[in-house]
Amino acid sequence: MKAAAFDYVAPQTVAAALDALDAEGEARILAGGQSLAPLLNLRLATPKRLVDIGRIAALRRIEDRGDHHRIGAMVTHAAIEDGGMALADHGMLAHVAAGIAYRAVRNRGTIGGSLAHADPSGDWPSALMALDARAVAAGRAGEREIAIRDFLRGAFATALEPGEMLTAILLPKLSAAARWGYYKIVRKAGEFPEAIGAALFDSERRRARIVIGALGSAPLPLDNLAARAAEKGIEAVALDAVEAALREAAPDLDRIALRHHAVAARRAILEALAP
Amino acid sequence: MQAHGKPGTGIGARLRRKEDARFLAGKGNYVSDIAMPGLMDVAFLRSPVAHARIRAVTAPAGAEDRVFRAEDLGGVKPMQAQSGIPGYRASDYPILATGKVRFVGEALAMCLGRNRAEAEDLAGEVTLDLEELPPVVDMLAARRAGAPLVHEHWGDNLFLTTAVDGRIDEVARTAPVVVKREYRMARQCMSPLEGKGVLAYWDDRHGQLVVVTSTQVPHIIRTGLAECLGLEQRLIRVIAPDVGGGFGYKCVLQPEEVAVAWLAMKRRHPVRWIEDRREHLTAGANARQHHYLVTAYADRRGKLLGLDAEVSVDVGAYSVWPFTACLEAAQAGGNLPGPYVVPAYRCKTYSIATNKPPFCPYRGVARPGVCFAIELTIDAIARAVGREPAEVRAENLVPASAMPYNNITNKHYDSGDYPKSLRMAMEAIDFAGIRARQRRGEADGRRIGIGFSTYTEQSAHGTKVFASWGIPIVPGYEQATVRLTPDGGLEIRVGTQSIGQGLETTLAQVASEILTIDPARINVVHGDTALTPYSTGAYASRSMVMAGGAVSRSSTVLAGRIARIGAHLMQCRTEEVRLAEGRVFGPAGDVSLEEIAKVWYLRPDQLPEDVDLGGLEATVGYRPKVDTGAFSYATHAAVVAVDPETGVTQILDYVIVEDCGTLVNPMIVEGQAFGGAAQGIGTALYEESSYDEAGQPLASTLIDYLLPGTTEVPAMRMQHIETPSPYTEHGIKGVGEGGAIAPPAAIVNAINDALAPLGAELGETPATPRRVLAAILAASERQAAE
Amino acid sequence: MIPITLTVNGRRVEATVEPRTHLADFLREQQRLTGTHLGCEQGVCGACTILLDGVPARACLAFAVACDGAEIRTVEGFDGDPLMARLREAFSAEHALQCGFCTPGMLISAYDLIRRLPEADEARIRRELSGNLCRCTGYVGIVAAVQRVLAEVPKAATAPSPAAEASPSARADTPLWGKIKTALGAKPKA
Repeated sequence: MKAAAFDYVAPQTVAAALDALDAEGEARILAGGQSLAPLLNLRLATPKRLVDIGRIAALRRIEDRGDHHRIGAMVTHAAIEDGGMALADHGMLAHVAAGIAYRAVRNRGTIGGSLAHADPSGDWPSALMALDARAVAAGRAGEREIAIRDFLRGAFATALEPGEMLTAILLPKLSAAARWGYYKIVRKAGEFPEAIGAALFDSERRRARIVIGALGSAPLPLDNLAARAAEKGIEAVALDAVEAALREAAPDLDRIALRHHAVAARRAILEALAP
Repeated sequence: MQAHGKPGTGIGARLRRKEDARFLAGKGNYVSDIAMPGLMDVAFLRSPVAHARIRAVTAPAGAEDRVFRAEDLGGVKPMQAQSGIPGYRASDYPILATGKVRFVGEALAMCLGRNRAEAEDLAGEVTLDLEELPPVVDMLAARRAGAPLVHEHWGDNLFLTTAVDGRIDEVARTAPVVVKREYRMARQCMSPLEGKGVLAYWDDRHGQLVVVTSTQVPHIIRTGLAECLGLEQRLIRVIAPDVGGGFGYKCVLQPEEVAVAWLAMKRRHPVRWIEDRREHLTAGANARQHHYLVTAYADRRGKLLGLDAEVSVDVGAYSVWPFTACLEAAQAGGNLPGPYVVPAYRCKTYSIATNKPPFCPYRGVARPGVCFAIELTIDAIARAVGREPAEVRAENLVPASAMPYNNITNKHYDSGDYPKSLRMAMEAIDFAGIRARQRRGEADGRRIGIGFSTYTEQSAHGTKVFASWGIPIVPGYEQATVRLTPDGGLEIRVGTQSIGQGLETTLAQVASEILTIDPARINVVHGDTALTPYSTGAYASRSMVMAGGAVSRSSTVLAGRIARIGAHLMQCRTEEVRLAEGRVFGPAGDVSLEEIAKVWYLRPDQLPEDVDLGGLEATVGYRPKVDTGAFSYATHAAVVAVDPETGVTQILDYVIVEDCGTLVNPMIVEGQAFGGAAQGIGTALYEESSYDEAGQPLASTLIDYLLPGTTEVPAMRMQHIETPSPYTEHGIKGVGEGGAIAPPAAIVNAINDALAPLGAELGETPATPRRVLAAILAASERQAAE
Repeated sequence: MIPITLTVNGRRVEATVEPRTHLADFLREQQRLTGTHLGCEQGVCGACTILLDGVPARACLAFAVACDGAEIRTVEGFDGDPLMARLREAFSAEHALQCGFCTPGMLISAYDLIRRLPEADEARIRRELSGNLCRCTGYVGIVAAVQRVLAEVPKAATAPSPAAEASPSARADTPLWGKIKTALGAKPKA
């Protein structure tokens, strides 16, 4: 199938992009296009206008901002995978990026595009939530920061208001003591996972996060379980305990999905806590 | 592993392919690559619902001349595949839906645009008035009384029911071991990487409709088009350019081919339709979906005493042309006993109509399903009697000493040593080592399993076999033309089709074997009804046996004529000359084929008076001495690791031991086996066209329909046994399909071997993590309850 | 229709395109470069993989209008390229193609893999090629062909320098690329 007709603009600045979004309803932002283009080709998305933000140089930068890094929305998965910029994340982003789809897709697909798309099975929503990242939304009134757990509202739903665009992700720096784990259950390399587990323990910063992804809705943080795991270690996260915590948090999961997500979470935790 | 192959350029040589250069340069020429002045694109408006009465299909105002509905296709007949099997009900498969739509994706209107995007725009503006009817989606539900009817006038949903009644009651009463199982194989899409495509135009100079189509069977397509369009066949020329994989999907006439051909005649400018992936996955013909109820009877050592089975095949809404909706079930009933000695056999088959796309004969046709059923049953029997499955399998196989062997369904197994293939596979995969490793256990908690499956593949089924199925096109004697060019090169013309299987190389090797011409100087011409002898085409693993045999015979005739001219030129007797190295050698000298060709074509004054006026071109037909099929066979062995917490299966090792008779080109044989096995791995673990209760397809993209990639297909290994068929030219047997037959059985047997200690067993493909985990959880709940 | 200017296989191309026309259709229908195949238009099969500003990309997921100013290299654009010549030779020797439909995309991905990861072992090769589907070969020959080239080509010669990566369009003129040519060109044809 071929895409339905649309208008196209490629602004050079964020301000111009916001103008283009405002100018007409039913505009959509084209970032790397690796999720949007298939939807366009299938005519599952039929926007009147595409606002291509690929020419806004500022969105491709990664900046050190002291206690965090500011990652431009248009930084590609491949750039993160190749680790061109040292992030204080102990390599978690590079690991996650390398597991997204395929190299040809990673060369074009972007962290911001992926996060704004908010596919429940996507990697960035779960990983960035575990890292306590923040999204930067630009609008007419300026920029605002939104914690990822507030940014992700559901399947393909975000806190972005009409006329707003995602411009960057703020990634807090981890301490030297931080440990992470990320585990996906996939049927086939590069494809959308059956379940995602993400875990982060940073004892110096007193942070413990466990996030379950690929649920069909926004990723689910299991803070109590994370706190228990941080406090008591591996013994606190036997499969039964993880399943129990998950059953309570996501009662709609069927037997198999419950097990899959619990196993993914547990393996992420074990990876993080492994000696 | 040492590469298998003979020196030289003839049969047995591991020759690189002649066709590679153009593909590697990106110069392959597929239907969608062809540009023509005035070419317009077609998009089909397809039914959004599975079952409905059509009240109206209305073109947008002003576009009436670019939208074509069933009622606009005056004089075009539906495809009707008759069968000679008593009781078979033919279905009219309309070119565009007529009266009712019977599956999601059925074409309702053909829309024309300057390019595909505009044609799709137009399709989006056509309005549909459909009165929805309850669909019938599940084949077992479709068999029950009161189910919605796909074809009302039938009174039920059965294309055909067949029965083999082998007096099994006595065995059933007395057998000490009874094993009952239910098996399911999922519905699949064949998914050649190039979809279907067709381009048609009217050629005023020749007064012909030219249809360029991605097909395995150009001559059959011509016959079918003529029938549907009401044209004489001489008025149609079908060209198959490079074909990007077929696998059975492209061996039937498709409604779009007829519609586009009709449109080209009507509009008198070139038009084309290029199937996209979504169309393929939702509206293209389907395959594989079988359901089995098997009861096996055995003695206490697991020796089969009898087999009682009920096979249901979900063949969708219509019968494809020409292979009919009952080919699959008929083959299943005939092939279920497989490579085994089965003393008593009863089998009932049902070919069931549902509101899904029609069913197509996919690589292996029915045998992946029957192999799955019988091979899982063999393992189940072994577990029931507490013996090693490989040993029980070996004891039940037809022994080499029994060859040739007529089995219980009258299949004539021509040659080979089935147990030897199993023994070789066991050794190659280190059976003892794997059993030892299982006892040690895995550090990562996964469970290792080993599985085998052995099958026979009736290749190049002959005329009699197809005639017994009574289908509209019965393959017959294959012809080939060989022609020495005036400069001593060779042209081979065959009506069968190369779809990636390397016939441009292997047929040249056969000719080279006889005429000693370097394959570099041989062209294989195929894919054009105007240039080649009639052939029913490339399917049923028949091309190498049949076209290879024909090329051999015609080359032999040509060699005789060459020898006579050579003898004359050297002034010796014909019996004294021989062909070698592209020359004719006599007692006192030699002459090149180039010189012989030059004399025939340009200096006939130098020829004797009684020269054979047939000249340096010969068309000869061929069929094997016994044409009930040459039986290839193989054993596949798989080692898997199953993660018991997630149900994720990884193939750790995979071995194929195959006997396809004389190997024409071992490299190409291996490529066929590996490629087939990769598709079988797809069947075993990944591919599934599922439908919801409303008959909506749930896998409409390659994100939902998973095709195995480099990370899913392991590094496979292969060993050969070479038992020439006693009945075919050069002892060649077919090999194209075999690889796809065994993997589902071998892999699920391996999974079941891994899960046996947990008491879990699976009988369904694909063995997804979800299904495997469900089996594990069910077993643990059962054990907890006990 | 929007005017664009881009470089295709080293040639400057000016064209006007509909915004909805993806790069693969632009190359195939407007430039008649039909070696870039369309297998799914869903970004999964990899048959349309081309080099876009020096790195592999799905031509079905990039809109031509968005490629204004870009440098495109398709399977037709490797005449005289010694590494691609090696790969083609290895593909034929290892029977890494049958119907040929996946081959152009597979060659592009393999070409990138060899330059980016000259130390890749079999598992890594498989992971890197997992985005290119082949329905015919079972991948046995494809993986073997890539292994063959990696074994033949000096590691140093295939590794791109960071500078070359940063400016892909300049790659053909970098001294390093000259070194690769020498290394490959000096080898006798197998």
